[in-house]
Amino acid sequence: MGSPSPADQVSRRAQVLAGHLRGLQTSTEPSLSPSPCLQYSPPELASPPPDFNLSDMRKLMDGHNLQDRDWLFGLMIQSKLFNPRVAGGRVFVSPDYSQSMEQQREMTMKRIHYLLDCGVFQEWLTGRGPEVEMRKFALHEVIGMYDHSLAVKLGVHYFLWGGAIQFFGTKRHHDKWLRDTENYVIKGCFAMTELGHGSNVRGIETVTTYDSKTGEFVINSPCESAQKYWIGGAANHATHTIVFSQLNINGKSEGVHAFIAQIRDTDGNICPNVRVADCGHKIGLNGVDNGRIWFDNVRIPRENLLNSVADVSPDGQYLSAIKDPDQRFAAFLAPLTSGRVTIASSAVYSSKMSLAIAIRYSLTRRAFSLTPNQPEVLLLDYPSHQRRLLPLLAKTYAMSFAANYLKMIYVKRTPESNKTIHVVSSAFKAILTWHNMRTLQECREACGGQGLKTENRIGHMKGEYDVQSTFEGDNNVLMQQVSKALLAEYIAVQKRNRPFKGLGLEHLNKSCPDVPSQLTSSTLRSSQFQTDIFCLRERDLLIRFAAEISQLQAQGLSREYALLQSYQLAEDLGRAFSDRAILQTFLDAEAAVSSGPLKSVLSLLRSMHVLIILEEDASFLRYGYLSPDNAAAIRKEVTILCSELRPHALALVSSFGIPDAFLSPIAFNWIDANSWSSVQP
Amino acid sequence: MAPPGSTNGDGEQVLVEENLFLRTLILNRPRQLNALSFQMVSKLLELFVAYEDDCNVKLVILKGNGRAFCAGGDVATVVHDINGGDWRLGAKFFWKEFILNYVMATYSKPQVFAMPETALGLFPDVGASYFLSRLPGFFGEYVGLTGARLDGAEMLACGLATHFVPSARLSLLEAALCKLDSGAPATISSILDEYSQQPHLKENSAHHKLAIINRCFSRRTIEEIISTLEREAVNSADNWISATIQSLQKASPTSLKISLRSIREGRLQDVGQCLTREYRMVCHVLQGEVSKDFFEGCRAILLDKDKNPKWEPSRLEQINESMVEQYFSKVDDEEWEDLKLPAKFTFSASSLAKL
Repeated sequence: MGSPSPADQVSRRAQVLAGHLRGLQTSTEPSLSPSPCLQYSPPELASPPPDFNLSDMRKLMDGHNLQDRDWLFGLMIQSKLFNPRVAGGRVFVSPDYSQSMEQQREMTMKRIHYLLDCGVFQEWLTGRGPEVEMRKFALHEVIGMYDHSLAVKLGVHYFLWGGAIQFFGTKRHHDKWLRDTENYVIKGCFAMTELGHGSNVRGIETVTTYDSKTGEFVINSPCESAQKYWIGGAANHATHTIVFSQLNINGKSEGVHAFIAQIRDTDGNICPNVRVADCGHKIGLNGVDNGRIWFDNVRIPRENLLNSVADVSPDGQYLSAIKDPDQRFAAFLAPLTSGRVTIASSAVYSSKMSLAIAIRYSLTRRAFSLTPNQPEVLLLDYPSHQRRLLPLLAKTYAMSFAANYLKMIYVKRTPESNKTIHVVSSAFKAILTWHNMRTLQECREACGGQGLKTENRIGHMKGEYDVQSTFEGDNNVLMQQVSKALLAEYIAVQKRNRPFKGLGLEHLNKSCPDVPSQLTSSTLRSSQFQTDIFCLRERDLLIRFAAEISQLQAQGLSREYALLQSYQLAEDLGRAFSDRAILQTFLDAEAAVSSGPLKSVLSLLRSMHVLIILEEDASFLRYGYLSPDNAAAIRKEVTILCSELRPHALALVSSFGIPDAFLSPIAFNWIDANSWSSVQP
Repeated sequence: MAPPGSTNGDGEQVLVEENLFLRTLILNRPRQLNALSFQMVSKLLELFVAYEDDCNVKLVILKGNGRAFCAGGDVATVVHDINGGDWRLGAKFFWKEFILNYVMATYSKPQVFAMPETALGLFPDVGASYFLSRLPGFFGEYVGLTGARLDGAEMLACGLATHFVPSARLSLLEAALCKLDSGAPATISSILDEYSQQPHLKENSAHHKLAIINRCFSRRTIEEIISTLEREAVNSADNWISATIQSLQKASPTSLKISLRSIREGRLQDVGQCLTREYRMVCHVLQGEVSKDFFEGCRAILLDKDKNPKWEPSRLEQINESMVEQYFSKVDDEEWEDLKLPAKFTFSASSLAKL
């Protein structure tokens, strides 16, 4: 006989499968026995009991407002509006993404009204102080875990429209709009981006003039590229918008200013001289009605100029306390900072969801036996699978601390901390959202075909979250701003001959750290080495970057052109700054934990987080901070860390505090969830 | 305490009837309305664990002797024990009771609970924060915070009971179940269907108030729940609202705060986690560090019967976040440990209770 017949193959396969179940006793059973073949075994059985306290870890991860988060999770689970579905005997909530774009948008609005009625948005605009802001962040994060569209639609209304009124408006605007906005009496949107101008806000083409005869501003879109684009809420629901526009007074352009314009009446009819069109179907976020707006000499009252930075008197004189147009413009971008804070933390929660699902699945799904008649191997027992998921888990822990730090400095902001917040929020927004997209892709692949099903969330989330690397500041542009800010700091220190202060750059005042040439396991795991190697890279790249710029300038290039030419160093430097800053937030969080199993597992995670960066970022070898021998030692240590983290994997994702209903069927009994009986009426 | 299975003046507190694949367990303390003593809890636990492994047992019926099914845990005795000495005696009772609850909640074999004159169904008596939080909308918050009593029709309507069998037909049902040779839930369910009927919700049933209950009891804090009810009362002449506000105002403020948090946490947890948390809470209640309202309540309702408890702290605003937090923390005592659930039941039947 040649190759085994299909029948032989089937019977051998049946034996192997049966062997997984009942060991050797199966040989006496008839081969056509109706007994089930593979049995679902929960991830808890494939993991030792957690050796640290899960709720303590969750407190550390979520950082704040745990009861408020649980309350909101409960509000969503208890309402039919959140589309509860049963699979494998469990209830899962997530939107029905197979609905049409229009249906999804209507559902988003209905969910908003339900949450509004439950009091979720109380004090979001009328409240003041860090406590209120932290609660708002926590609740917004939880909403994003249900559906990114819901979070974005709310973010536009409360953080962008509401934030613009808070930050650019004065008392008359606050009194008139904040309470009505909080209660959704009016629905706001935020028209900044145009077809022709996104990141370059100063180049927008919408023009506003002042008519002193009537005391009105006149807003106009002079050309097609001036149409407002991607305006969330504009296509269907918004009644009002913030309009960013050039302000022309007596023939002189005073730069970009923000105005309030009504675009719909209370019945939803579009206002005269306003044209609105839909942006159409998107790769994600179809629950958000992104639209386009043209203004055909729309007239608004003079009081609708948001005048905290500049004003126009009734007789048409331009008045501003800030004379420098650059500074004036910077003041206008302030609300985007809060957007970057929420995006950064929502990216971390998205990573947590995908890792919780993929790791739970990897502890229940088996593939291939090492020897015949032996049980197949659990996915997470493959060292290669560990290497794919566990470093991302460690990084997500690090980024969770980073996001908590960012929120904290944001809510405690002072005029002095504005620059730090701008730089840190730019860096973290970019790094955390890039990390999320990478994590989603890896988790999707790690779940195989199951990752492609919308009900399993991960694959679908790629489309939903992709936008994060673009909106509220393109990641690449943000990272350029980070390296530019570092360069400016460096030049100022050199010029004024003073020490570095702020942005965590104080380490440059000390002598260059000394990294040992031989890296043992204990060196690699020490926080001293980890800090040193990150500081060394940041210091060296900053000096190189400054030297290259000044060299190019010496050759006659303008500073701006020199910056463009040095983009490679700029990118490396931006990463170096972010990695060092994120590690610092990890070390600070770790320092606040008293010794014990929880602290030990945190230190494992920190080492994994650092070593994986050392392994993956080419700059360490490129600039010689590490030798090829060092790189080999690091690579080896990573595999050891993988095996040490493997027993903690389940406990680490359980500590994310994501309710079961927010995960997906493959995170639980996926055999029951896919059984024939589950599709019977 | 007495070893399991020993007798007292009432004779055996748990009677057992064996019939083919069926075991009928009868709570036998009719004078105490079958309130569960330590002895009964121990005996039930022992029986349930044994039946789980016994392939000759396919169905378990639990019923009460006399006019009541079960008045719950024998709290009066617990309080009496604690007043006489040590809170740990109380903790020991709840430890056993909670483990019994867990075993029953995750039981792999069908159980039928007979509650004469109320309802009959397939439901487990597990931690309240588990089953209340799983009622529709925010009915669980309403029941848990106001202590509203549910009749059979209401229990069926809100999903707490699966079947309603009029008491006159209970013995017929029991006879039918005795003849059963299979423990298949579908078979049992069809027999139950045969004997059950659809009771009518009373006109003034709280179940008709679901819309307003959801509006008010979904709010974030107990203070907001009360103020939302008060706003509703302004626009309505409904006595139900004022009665509900009154019952919240009469309740122990500390109890309201910890109950709300417990239900909300319970909504996201499995039954094992719920019981573990509730055991912590009950130990703190027995220790009485933050508030001694439990003893005051028992004095006013069960012992002195003056129905006029003096709560301390007396007002919601006197209870801060850290006082509430204390109830959810580990108990600071050398001998104390968290509830240890039997590992056998932890994953075998999945820790999904059958509600």
